[in-house]
Formats: sequence, C-alpha cells, structure tokens
Amino acid sequence: MSGHNESILREPLITGDNITYAKITDDILGPVENKPNKAWWIGFIFASLGALLWVVAVSYTFWNGIGAWGLNKTVGWAWDITGFVWWVGIGHAGTLISAVLLLFRQNWRNSINRSAEAMTIFAVICAATYVVSHMGRPWLAYWVLPLPNQFGSLWVNFNSPLVWDMFAISTYFSVSLLFWYTGLLPDIATIRDRAVGTRRKIYSIFSFGWSGSVKTWQRFEAVSLILAGISTPLVLSVHTIVSMDFATSVIPGWHTTIFPPYFVAGAIFSGFAMVLTLLLVARKVLGLENYITMFHIESMNKIIILTGSIVGVAYLTEFFIAWYSGSEYEQYAFINRSTGPYWWAYWMMMTCNVISPQLLWFKKIRLSIRATWILSIVVNIGMWFERFVIIVTSLHRDYIPSSWAMFYPTWVDVSVFVGSIGLFFTLFLLFLRVLPSIAIAEVKLLLKSASEQAKMKQIKEGHENKEYVAEYIESLEKFDSVKQEDYAKI
Amino acid sequence: MESNKKYWKGLEEYNNTPDFVKNNKNEFAEPLPIEDVLNEAGLSTVTPRRDFLKALGFGLGAVTLAACQTAPIHKSIPYLVKPEEVTPGIPNYYTSSFNGQSILVKTREGRPIKIEPNPNAGEFFRGTDARAQASVLDLYDVSKLKAPLLKNEETTWAKLDGFVKTELTKAQASGKKIRIVSSTVNSPSTNAVLAQFIAKYPAAKLVQYDAVSYTGIIQANQNSFGKAVLPKYNFDSADLILSFGADFLGTWISGEEFTAQYSKNRSYKSLESKKMSRHIHFESGMSLTGSNADTRVPVKLSEEGPALIALYNAVTGQSLPGGTLGNNTTADKVIKLAAKELLQNKGKALVVCGSNDVSTQILVNAINAAIGSYGTTIDLDNPCYLYAGNDAEFNGLVAEMSRGEVGAVLFLNSNPAYDYIDAKKFEAALKSVPAKISFADRADETASLCDAVAINHNYLESWGDANAYEGYYSIVQPTINPVFNSRQAEESLLVWADAPVKDYYQFVRSNWETKMLPALGLKWNDVLEKGVISIAPKAATAYTFTQSVAPVAASILNRSKSLAKDIELQVYENIPMRDGKNANNAFLQELPDPVSKVTWDNYVAIAPKYAETLKVKEFDVVTVKAANGYSIDLPVLIQPGQARGTASIALGYGRTKVGKAGNDVGKNAFPFVSFINGTMQYATSVTITPTGGYYELAQTQTHHSFEGRAVIKEATFKEYLKDPAAGNEKGEHKDYDLWDQYEKPGNNWVMAIDLNACTGCGSCVVACNVENNIPVVGRDEVRRRREMHWIRIDRYYSYETPEGDVTKEKEIANLEDLDHVSVVHQPMLCQHCDHAPCETVCPVLATVHSSDGLNHMAYNRCVGTRYCANNCPYKVRRFNWFNYWNDSRFDNYLNNEFTQLVLNPDVTARSRGVMEKCSMCIQRIQGGKLKAKLEKRPLKDGDIKMACQEACSANAIVFGDSNDPNSEVSKALRSERIYYVLEEINVKPGIGYMTKIRNTDTKVQA
Repeated sequence: MSGHNESILREPLITGDNITYAKITDDILGPVENKPNKAWWIGFIFASLGALLWVVAVSYTFWNGIGAWGLNKTVGWAWDITGFVWWVGIGHAGTLISAVLLLFRQNWRNSINRSAEAMTIFAVICAATYVVSHMGRPWLAYWVLPLPNQFGSLWVNFNSPLVWDMFAISTYFSVSLLFWYTGLLPDIATIRDRAVGTRRKIYSIFSFGWSGSVKTWQRFEAVSLILAGISTPLVLSVHTIVSMDFATSVIPGWHTTIFPPYFVAGAIFSGFAMVLTLLLVARKVLGLENYITMFHIESMNKIIILTGSIVGVAYLTEFFIAWYSGSEYEQYAFINRSTGPYWWAYWMMMTCNVISPQLLWFKKIRLSIRATWILSIVVNIGMWFERFVIIVTSLHRDYIPSSWAMFYPTWVDVSVFVGSIGLFFTLFLLFLRVLPSIAIAEVKLLLKSASEQAKMKQIKEGHENKEYVAEYIESLEKFDSVKQEDYAKI
Repeated sequence: MESNKKYWKGLEEYNNTPDFVKNNKNEFAEPLPIEDVLNEAGLSTVTPRRDFLKALGFGLGAVTLAACQTAPIHKSIPYLVKPEEVTPGIPNYYTSSFNGQSILVKTREGRPIKIEPNPNAGEFFRGTDARAQASVLDLYDVSKLKAPLLKNEETTWAKLDGFVKTELTKAQASGKKIRIVSSTVNSPSTNAVLAQFIAKYPAAKLVQYDAVSYTGIIQANQNSFGKAVLPKYNFDSADLILSFGADFLGTWISGEEFTAQYSKNRSYKSLESKKMSRHIHFESGMSLTGSNADTRVPVKLSEEGPALIALYNAVTGQSLPGGTLGNNTTADKVIKLAAKELLQNKGKALVVCGSNDVSTQILVNAINAAIGSYGTTIDLDNPCYLYAGNDAEFNGLVAEMSRGEVGAVLFLNSNPAYDYIDAKKFEAALKSVPAKISFADRADETASLCDAVAINHNYLESWGDANAYEGYYSIVQPTINPVFNSRQAEESLLVWADAPVKDYYQFVRSNWETKMLPALGLKWNDVLEKGVISIAPKAATAYTFTQSVAPVAASILNRSKSLAKDIELQVYENIPMRDGKNANNAFLQELPDPVSKVTWDNYVAIAPKYAETLKVKEFDVVTVKAANGYSIDLPVLIQPGQARGTASIALGYGRTKVGKAGNDVGKNAFPFVSFINGTMQYATSVTITPTGGYYELAQTQTHHSFEGRAVIKEATFKEYLKDPAAGNEKGEHKDYDLWDQYEKPGNNWVMAIDLNACTGCGSCVVACNVENNIPVVGRDEVRRRREMHWIRIDRYYSYETPEGDVTKEKEIANLEDLDHVSVVHQPMLCQHCDHAPCETVCPVLATVHSSDGLNHMAYNRCVGTRYCANNCPYKVRRFNWFNYWNDSRFDNYLNNEFTQLVLNPDVTARSRGVMEKCSMCIQRIQGGKLKAKLEKRPLKDGDIKMACQEACSANAIVFGDSNDPNSEVSKALRSERIYYVLEEINVKPGIGYMTKIRNTDTKVQA
C-alpha cells in the first residue's frame, strides 16, 4: 500500500532481517507445500478422534432421541445451547479482526486475519451443528426457513428469536465465508503458481483465474472494503440476536436488556482468546515468529483486558439491576446463581472471566507466551461457564418452585461438546495444510514500511530523532524474534 | 381447426399394402409361438440356454424385488355388518361398577377406553379415584394369563372343570373342609352363586379376607351396639371432624365419597354461604387427609391410645387412667381444646380413627356416642358393605390348613401369598391342602402355588352387581367380549356346582328380576340404563353407649406400652398402590404419592429432625427390622410432619409375580403387620440401621417450599369472614400491554380451581393420562425429571412458627421445630395464557392461540426446539424425549399392539421430539360443540367437562365459557378469592385459583 517510511515510534509488524517477498512466501507456504511434521500428525490424530466422537455422539442422539442428553422438563436447554452460544461467540474475533480492524486501518491485523477468519468459519460450523442437533426432530430443521411449502399458508414465526437467529447465523456464515475466500484468492494464486501437476490444477480452479494485474488488485481492494463494510454490523448483530434468544423471554435471569452489549463484548473476549490459543501454537510449530510477533500478542491481550472488564461490569450491573428491580423472582435468580446449587459454576465464571484477565495488566504476564496461552484457555473455560450459568441456573429455578430441578449431563452431552472441539480442530488443522495460515499478500504489503528491517534501514539512514530511536529500540526488548544484539551497537 | 389428422406409421400403412391389411388385424406384427409352447410338443422341447437364463434372471429379480418390502398388514374390522349400536367415531357409554362404585364406561368401536363417574350414582359419588380411572389399563394387561392353567400348564376349560370337580368331590367325601377365600363379597348375585356352591358342597364356606382390614371397627360396633358392620359416615353433616390417623380423604373405607362429603363444607360454594367445617387431625405419618387438615398434630403411634383416652376423659368428664400424653404438650393442649369444641358441636361433630384395634374403636364409639354422632354424622342403620373381612377367621383358616383339615381352597380376588402377614407360614400351610384353585387373572404369588388357575374376567368383561351400602345396589355389565380365554369366577362356581343356570348373565338377571325389581316396579333394562338402584334409606337412629370403657382403656394402654419401644413403624396404604392388587398398572405406579411425590417405589418416611438423630440422610438405604425377624432394605424419605420417633412404610409394593410393570417395585411391608387381640394391627416397632447404600427415589417434585411467592395465597377462615378477599389483596398497579387485543367471539374457555376443595388426591392426573394418551415413562425417566403428566399437583410445605409461616428454603434450614407443617395442594396445568410466552418464541408456529381462548399445540408442526417449554413460567410443557409408546426401553405397558388398544382414538399419540401439554381436552370441546350442533341447539354450560374435572370428587375444578356470564365458571371467577398465578408477569393466564382458607382461628391453634 505504501512505500513511504512509517514513524520509527511504531513497533515493527514483521521482524527478522533478510526478509524478502520470496522468503515470506516460502515461510508461509512451508506447511502447505511440504509434508506435515510430527506435531501436526499428533494434533490431527487427537482432533480427528474428537471429531469421530462427535459423529458417534450425534448419531446416537439422532437414533435414540434428545433424551440421550441430560435435559428435563425444567431445563430444556443446557450443554447444547451453551455450546452453540460459545462457538458463535468464538467466531466473533475473526470478523472483528478482518472487518473492523481493516476499516480502522489496523495493519497488524494482516498477520492474523486469515487464521482468525478460518476460526470464525469453523466455529460457526460447530455452532450450526448444535442448531440442528438440539432439535427434537432434526430431520425437519428446514422448517425454520421461510420456504414456500405444500402446507398452504404455513409460515415461520417472525416473532421468534430462533427465526432471527437462523437469519443471523446463516447471513454471518455466508458473509464470513465470502470475505475469507475473497482474501484467499491472491494467496491461492500464489500456491498455484508455485505448484505443479494435479495440485496446480486444483489450486488453479480455486484461484478463479487470478491474474495479478493492477485491475485485479484494484477490484480486490474494493471488494475487500465493501465486504468489510457489510461484515462490520454483523459483529454487533449476530451476538445481539443470539442474546435475544434469552433477553426476549420471560425467565428471570434471561429477561435482561443488558444482554446485547454484554454478549457482544463477551463474544469478542472469547474470540480473541481462541485466536491466541490457536496462533500461539501455530506460530511456534509453523515457525511464524517473524510474522506473528509479540506486538500482536500484546495487542490481543489488551483487547482481552478491555472486553473482559466490560463483561465484568455487565455481571455486576446485572446484580445491581436485579436488586434494584424489586422483583423477587429476579432477585432470587441472581442470589441463586451465586449461592444456589450451581454456585461453583458461577464462581468459575467470575474467576475465569473477571479476575484472571486482570492479570494481563502486568506487562510481564502480558508478554509471557506461556501465561498468555494458559489465560486464553482459562478465558474460554470461563466463557463456557458464563453461558452455562445463564442458561442452566436461570432455568433450573424459575417461577414455580415445584418444578425446580437439577441438570446433570450424560456422556452424550459431554461427547457432543468435546467432539465439537475435535471437529473444530480437525477443520483447523486441515486448513493449515491446504491454505496459507497468514495472508501472504497482505503481509507483503507491510514489508517495505512496517518491518523491522525497514526500520533498521531508517535508523541507519540516520534521519530519525535519537530519542525516538532509543524508544523504538527499547520497545523491541519484548520481541522474542528480534536479535537484541543487533541493536546493542547502535 | 382440423384436428383429425391421420398419422401413418410407415409406408405400408400409407400405401395400405395387402400385407399390412392382413397383419394389421393381429396384435403383434409377428405371430407369437404361444400355441407351440403350450401344446404338448412345446412343453417337451428342450429349453434353450438363453431362455433358461432369461427366465431365471427375471424370476430371481422379481422375487428379490418382491421380498424387499414386507407388505404391511393392516388389521381392521370391516363393519360389513355394522353392530346396531356402534357408530365408528361415536363413543358408547355403559353403566358398570368398580369396587362397589357405580361408573360409566366409555367405549369406542367396542373397546372400553375411559371410566367416568355415573351421574345417577348419587350426590357423593360424583368423582372417581385414581384406581378406577386407571382400571381400564388392567383390561389390556399383557401380563395376564391367556388360558386357564392346570398344574402350571395351559389347559382347556373342560379339563379344568373335570379336575376341579373331582377334587371338590374328593374333598367333600373325605370330610375335610372346602374354603373360598375372597376379599369382601358385597355382590348379591355372587352371594347367591356361593349359596348354590355351598349347597352342592356343604363342606364349603366363604372366608372374607381383606388385605387391609376394617375388622376392628366392625367388631367394635358388634361389641358396643350389637351390629357387626361398618357404619355409614356422613362427613357432610359434620362441622367439626376429629381424625386419629384415619386417612378418610384417601384410603380409609371410601375416600372419594368422603372427599365429596368433606368438600361440601369447605368448597367455594360453602364459603360463600360463610360456612366451613373444621378438621383436626392427629397422626404419625403425613397422610393426604392430614395434609388437608386445619390443625394437624403429629403423635406417635403409641400416643394415639392415650390421646383418645384423654379426649374421652375431657369429653365425658370421667377420669380413666392413662390419659396423659407425656412429652407431647401440643397434642395434650389440642386434645383439651378439641374436647371443648366437640361439646359445643354436639350432633355436628365426628371422631374417626384409622386403627384396626377393637378396643381403640370401642373407645371411639364411646366418644362419638358422647358427642351425639350416632344418627347424625354416623349412620349405623344403613351400614356400609364395602369391607366385611374377618381377620381372626382367616388366621384360623391358615391354622386349619396347616393342620390338614382343609381339603380344597379357592382364592377369589385374594392373594394371601403376597399380602398375608406371614406369607411363609401361609405357603407352608397351603402345601397341606390337596386341592388349590385360584381365580386370579394372572399367575400371581398365590395362583402360582395353586393346582388350577381358573382365570377370571376383568370387571369390564363381567356381569355382576354390588351392594356398597344398605339399599344401594349397582350393576356390573360387560363392555367388551372376553379378550382371552377367561371365564367369570361366578360362572366357574356355577359349573362346578352343577347349577341349573350356568350362564352368569342369566343368573344375575334372574336374580335381579326375581328378588329386587318386582318390589321396585322396575325392569332389567332400567337397571342397565341407570346403573344404580337406591332404595330409600332407613332413618338413622341414635345409639347410646352403655358398656364400661375401663377394660378397653386398659387394653389400649397395654398396646400403647408395647409399641413404645425402638422406632414405631406405621404401615399404611398409599393412594396410588393401595393394597398392591393393581401393582401392574403403570398409570398407578407413575402416579406420584400425593404427599411425598414419590413414584415407582416405597420408602421409609422419617421426620427431618428425627433423621438427624438417627444419623440418616434422604435416600440413604436402611435396614428396617421388626421383632418378628422380618427385615427389608429401603431408602429413607425425609417427611416433614412425620411424628418424631416414628417411621412409615407403604403397603402394596414388593410384588414378585404381578407382571412387567409391578414386579420388584419397592419392598413388601405386609409382614410388618401383626395379628394382635384378634385383628390385624398396622403399627409395630422396628429397629432401623443404615446399610451405607444410597438409592434415589423418583420424585416428581424435589423442592417443597413455595419461597413466599404469590403462587400460593392463603388466609384463615376468620380473616375470610371479615374480608372475602383476605390474602388476595391486590396492590395498585397499572397494566401495560405490548400485544394487540383480539376478540373472542363465541366461547372463551377458562377454568377456576378451588384450592380449598382440592385435596390433592391425584385422580385427575390419572384421568388426564387415560384421556389424553399420556405415556408412562418409568422410574429412571422420572428420576431425570421427565414425567409427562399434563396436570400435576404441586404440594408445598410451610412451617408454622409463632412469628408466622415460614416458606423459604433458607429460613426453613434454620428452624428447630419442623413438626408443625401446613400443606397446600395446587393443581397445575397449562394456563392457556392470553399472552402466552410459549407462543411468541416458537420458530415454526407450532403453538398458537385460538379464538376461543385456548393455547393450541400442533404436534405435526413441532420441530422440538423446546424453547416454548423454557419460556413457560409454569413449566407445564412436556417434551417427548424418546418415542415412549414404541421403544423397548420404556416397555412399561404400551409397547405392544394389544395394550395400545387402550389409546383414545380422538387424541394423537405423540412421537419422539415433539412438545405436548394440556389441550383443555380439545377433543371433548369439539365433541361437545358437535353434539350441540347436531341437536341444533346452542352449547350450554356443563355440556363439556374436562377429564380432570369429571374425575374430581371434590368439585375443585370448574371449566366453562367466560363469555357466558351465567356459567358456573364465570360465577366462580367472580369470587373475591380468585387470583391468577404469576399474574404480575402479565401473561394473562386463563385459570383462576381460589385462595386456600384454613379454619385455624379458634383457640385450638396448635
């Protein structure tokens, strides 16, 4: 995009010296063009076993009926919708990174958007499986679509949040897929150009005849912006609508107007955590330290602190409003959350989502790959519990005390959830093998302006303010991919 | 346009060549060699290889394809010759009787599918109990024998008759006794049959043996007044009712009848006339009746006698020794005050006692005589014939049998190998009887020990009659041809007696036509039509008690002393299972106990504080061991209101040979019954030791307090008299509405439920199950909280303290005194909200509102997201987690084609994955509308009744059209007591509840 020099104060987005366009292509296409290493195989075997478990558990459910799950007359949704909301939430980071950060010209997104978008798509697939499998008669799932039918004037209920959900999720999935694929086109073309034989033919078909002409690039940029524009409202709308499944109901603990912003913040929170979980491993295993740098990690951690704090405030607000409402049902629902039979789930949620992300205020923790990785998993555990708390503890003790009941999961509940994680990782690991995990073309854009070597050149040219240079060098200390001794001389 | 163009198929046709003209006559262009093939020569020619392969290939292919799908076999009854009275789709109703109560049997296309009360049955027989409702299922029970058994082999009736006659003649000739063991026989025709049988075999005698006996009362009346009968109790004439452990609204003598009498003085109509009876109850275990009492005092079993003596002393002013209640100061106080009230209510009070001890009942007679109950609340002149069993007689028979004095024994409707107090002794004694014959319909515990099982009809296949009260006769008539190769027991007896008339129908009919009908000027068809004949009752007279009570009191005190050691155990009948005769009825097994809400098991009920002393927790398995050495392992149920120092175990469980549903459900408690002072005594003392095991009981309700919520509204009678809206004060508020208002032209179906009338007995639950084809799901599914009942009875406990009632779980946990419990029963079903939260959330519009105020459920449209159930504030929606009616894992009863005949054809059987709930018996509403339409008249109030409403003896459920201001329901809904559950969330429910009123404001507050 720009050949001009960037301010020396900005931290580099690509580290390492002797990075060339060719090296970028080689580095990123390494996993795609070579045989998988042992780590991949181990991961893939585990993931596909998980996916197999998912197939078994879902088939078992379809064969026998939803009774295979632990649900009952009082708690009609539990692990199923918890899993659904959890996966949809995780998907949100991808869209936020690809669309919102693009519109805000946050160039650091270029290294992570591809994987994040892939994650979005796979997460939405996992969520969609729940939409179908939680139904009593899944073979009739298409009835929630407003299709012309032979039943006469029978139509869907446009008042039902589940119908809104269906629109929201299907729109979200199709736009995300389109956006992701559009971004992939130049990279697929790159693979095509380097491949031979059948691979070349296949990638040729999938590259849609990308020619790399100026006109193509120009249109590519335009389409990306348009799609970013379309996706941006989806970041807010999808989880808003998911939250309305609860907010428009009459159940104490669900019937809450704070849900839309609270759910969106929670979704971004969990999504970034999942991006970190995936990329910290991918970065190491695939040797992408120069492209996904400590700067990226720290930036994502900062977003996690922000969204985690929003979520924390939302939790407290809910409590305040429950007390302030004067409604005994509302008050009981929240007292029951924190002190009732599921108190442990509530405090699990509080610890994982509100307390643990605050640790990221410490720079040391924020910059520790190990701590970040652990916290990213803790956050997603917490976010799973958040949905569990909202769904199960609100339902299990609602208005009429005679119907109060406990929910206990069965092996099928657990298997469907664990299996969906397996399915997700299977898809993600396959993705790493066939498509570039980092947007090659977009990273190349940064090489001349925002890379460490470009900045080094700037410093060597000697036009930069010494103080700024010193500050810049100081900021490099956190980078594990920067050879600090190169700067000791300056 | 010219349309008759001629198309030609070839030049030959165009040119009309001679060849073409010749061949055109033939169907095939070339002649087929049919003749060649069919003539002798053709058949004898050698088949070419290719033809053979063609034929083989086609043959194989055709057979394979034909075998791919089994042709479905549809069994149907073609009404080529339509029975005169059967119109497909239109039910027929026949009168009959169940356990002496006159009923209507609804049949569809020849299948009995529902029991209704007979409107001719009388003022206090307006409902049916759970057993009667569930009894249709017994007809379709696959566990029954399909043919008579001889030496455990299926046989023919001729062979069986031959065997039995030989054996009976042998027994008669040998000079040994012949005994017919039967539960109480009150049928005049059966008695006539028995008379003929005894005439043929003079050694024969009837021994009446009731599993749960009322011998105590019968003998006490013999002793006090010279009349060995059960009296007729008139709870409707009693303004004050004192009960000592008599569960008269549930299992005691005639619960449904007493419920109707009782509710007459407590329902909304009675309250509107400012009248309400008062009910004080002393008992050990929490019974249904106790749970409805205004004042309930827990007393130990050993304190019951002293309490009665104290009451006697207080009422009569005498001073019998032993009338002290020791530590139970509450009971002491209440007895003293109750005595004062009894004296104030002379002639309008009634004291009943559930004990089967003769001395205790004599003392009760003395008290009742002192307060003038005879002739008013107790009628000895029109006695009750429902129970006439004699404990000593049967006990004597067992001894006779073991001494080898009995040559033949016949078991009619009795099963002592299960329900006798010492089954082992009975079995041993039975071995010394040469001929043992049972009339059971299945190889039950006793029948399987018998030489011959002459399987009896189900009552729905039988002729017969019953005489429940003096002058009150009802008919039993068959509603279906016998399903299996069974024969009515009476007919068997007639055959064996070589009677002149062997056809029992002819026998019953001539019995009526000769003995009863001429005097009444009635015809046989009148009886069949009305179902019940009531001869004007005699005037009830007063009886005076003249005996000395001192020896009686001494005997009571002795018994009390012998009980007062270890843990006092009460064995009792619970409402679903009663004496266990219907244990294979899945509807009853899944009917929750009205108080504990436990299904599919019995248990040891222990008071919460006492459990702490014993160091046991809920569902801990304990060994209960009696002095006679009998012990069973059962889980503990913490029962608020249970007297400390006592435990209760229900009878009727632990059957081993009753069938798929009932075998090995719970443990048998009959061996805890002891034979003392000539009667069966249902109190004993036991030791309880924890086994360390854990067994979760399947309860339909696990939270027992209503948390102070406005779900339940209560007031006392005194408050009610001051202000009928007491407890139902409506704060100032303004309603806002998000939704459009729709007009409800025609009808607007609503319901009113009187919490004061409802006793919580649960017969509505079974009635609803039968009417609406609601699946039984079994113990494991109930444990998972998945029972399917469309109507349930919520039962809440609250605890009385000097500071007021405590209803919140967390406050209850801190209470010291958990003995003083008040209970409320609340029927809960779909409220058919006008702003139904379920309707807005369904994505596919499977649940929608009708213009007549109903919340409809379209099963075929439901995709099963369960969102509606989540969003239902009343949690009345039920989901089909599995294909309950056709899944071998839930084979309680319905997974076979035969039992499926019990299904109501007007109601769809729901498949897996579909939501269901109360439909307000929409099939009944439609049926009622159609009937009115055919009769060209407007629908009138009372034309349509809900299944739950019809079964309710207490008249607690009123259904009707709120658009009609004069309808019963409109009037009821105008009551100041009406409130709508959760009306504050503005879902606009269609069912109004009336506040619970307790008559506690006298000085006798416990």
